[in-house]
Amino acid sequence: MKLNERSVAHYALSDSPADHMGFLRTWGSPGTPPTPSGTGRRCWFVLKGNLLFSFESRKGRAPLSLVVLEGCTVELAEAPVPEEFAFAICFDAPGVHPHLLAAEGPAAQEAWVKALSRASFGYMRLVVRELESQLQDARQSLALQHHSSWKPAASRCKPQARNNRSVVLENGHPLSKDCRPVGLVEEAGSRSAGLGLAERELQGPASLLLGRGQSPVSPETSDFSTLHDWYGQEIMKLQQHWQQRAQGSQPECEEQDKP
Amino acid sequence: MRYNEKELQALSRQPAEMAAELGMRGPKKGSDEAEPVGALLLERCRVTREEPGTFSISFIEDPERKYHFECSSEEQCQEWMEALRRASYEFMRRSLIFYRNEIRKVTGKDPLEQFGISEEARFQLSGLQA
Repeated sequence: MKLNERSVAHYALSDSPADHMGFLRTWGSPGTPPTPSGTGRRCWFVLKGNLLFSFESRKGRAPLSLVVLEGCTVELAEAPVPEEFAFAICFDAPGVHPHLLAAEGPAAQEAWVKALSRASFGYMRLVVRELESQLQDARQSLALQHHSSWKPAASRCKPQARNNRSVVLENGHPLSKDCRPVGLVEEAGSRSAGLGLAERELQGPASLLLGRGQSPVSPETSDFSTLHDWYGQEIMKLQQHWQQRAQGSQPECEEQDKP
Repeated sequence: MRYNEKELQALSRQPAEMAAELGMRGPKKGSDEAEPVGALLLERCRVTREEPGTFSISFIEDPERKYHFECSSEEQCQEWMEALRRASYEFMRRSLIFYRNEIRKVTGKDPLEQFGISEEARFQLSGLQA
């Protein structure tokens, strides 16, 4: 099978940064029997992306070999000679033996196994997809927080609760969406907005609407007026509660004045 | 340079991102249909539109040496060019750095910590300026 060897070798020798490099012993020279034996051959290995090159020496002008690291796993292994810190690159391909390599110490062995396990394009793609989805979640949560400038359930922000309540009471009416109390903005910054919200238990009017398949923190909730209703209901309930408390607290104040 | 040809051949039989028959101009076509005729490792390559429905791949060290590909339609040509543009390891790495940074801006946290790869040199912001 043809390969664009010249271009690949050029890439190997270019000054693009390598992801890992070091001396390793290898048993992969041509003509060796399938079962490795002996101490192997010491070569300079360079990992760039998902390409593992070997050179005769650090100053080698042409790569001796290339292993394309896709569709493989990396495992600790036993070397033919004891006390070698060996590992193997295993492919799921017919008629293919694992590529046996050995590092010069336990730290190097661990570092190589980690680097090689994560080297594949497939691995990176998985991470990128995960981050893409996390970013989407984080942005949607942030947008929701900007829309809702008041907290629906007191249990979600205990330390800030007092600030929010006093603000609502002073205004005497529900906060408009343009008004953002300081406590809330700080809260948004301090917790992991994207990741934590969805897992918190919902209380109050939100739970009433869960049956309809919507929630205040679901990215699927597209209807702003629904959200607005939720928070509006919660605010009115809180208002009533505080008004009752305010009326009920008058006698207590008078009592305190008594000697 | 030796390379792990058998493993690559096995890889070629895995489900593909994209697969199609495209006319290729370059070295003579192989007659053996069972095994892949060749592989192009796409690092540091440039994908260029040529005549309508045709694109070429060339490599940075020899931009005039081109592998030409003829597609059956303009649409197919577009699809392939876009897929190839996104296929490089370098592109994926840059996307990762980009998303990591965006998430940090929004949440204040490093999303790579959960994977244990936040210290890797290849994922640092400085890599984007390279």
